[in-house]
Amino acid sequence: MTSRSIEVIHLAGELDIARRSEISAALQVNGSEAGILVDCCKVTYADSTALAELLRFRNDAKNRQVPIAVLTGSTQFVRVIQYAGLNGVFEIFEHRAPALTYLSNAGKLP
Amino acid sequence: MTGRSELRIKLAANAQEAQPVRHALGAFLSAIGIEGVRREDILTAAGEALVNAIEHAYDGRPADTDEIEIFARQEDGTGLVIDVSDRGRFIELAERPGRGLGLRIARAIAQTVSIDTENGTTVRMIFTT
Repeated sequence: MTSRSIEVIHLAGELDIARRSEISAALQVNGSEAGILVDCCKVTYADSTALAELLRFRNDAKNRQVPIAVLTGSTQFVRVIQYAGLNGVFEIFEHRAPALTYLSNAGKLP
Repeated sequence: MTGRSELRIKLAANAQEAQPVRHALGAFLSAIGIEGVRREDILTAAGEALVNAIEHAYDGRPADTDEIEIFARQEDGTGLVIDVSDRGRFIELAERPGRGLGLRIARAIAQTVSIDTENGTTVRMIFTT
């Protein structure tokens, strides 16, 4: 039996249109993960292109039944999600421990 | 001297231009006393209008031949007015899958957002300050 683990994707800095390819490349799911934590603690700015990539990633993960959690630091990032009307679309956490607990409970860990 | 504060920047329709323009606008907002969450939100809304112009207005045309202008100023009795203008064709972002978030974000932040598509596109956002 192959053990599955929670993977962590780190994003940092200003996530805008100039970094769309980089963000897209980082936000990939292969289906073998027990869960994915998207660590955005060091994100200082995010725009709609970043949100669109995050939304695409969330849909890919959902289709592969891989739970994701988003760890936030910047209040701008949290607010832009709210302004986009995406409240409730993402599982958002301010602290790592509850995010990992959520993923452990929601994922495929034995 | 008129006492009027304004910032006008012209840029190419290039994704790399967005960040320095946001930073310049952020410095302008600080200079006129807009700070904190309000400053961040205004930068977010203006950033979305810029993304719209950069990403959609010049579809298929060389970016270096085109020009975008951002014009921010304080107007008595109105507040802070920011225009983002280009010479391209406005495209409703909702026409594209996964898009349409930008204007929704701008409209959630600004008191009014209007779009004039005569002679290019101008997105005007008004913020009470």
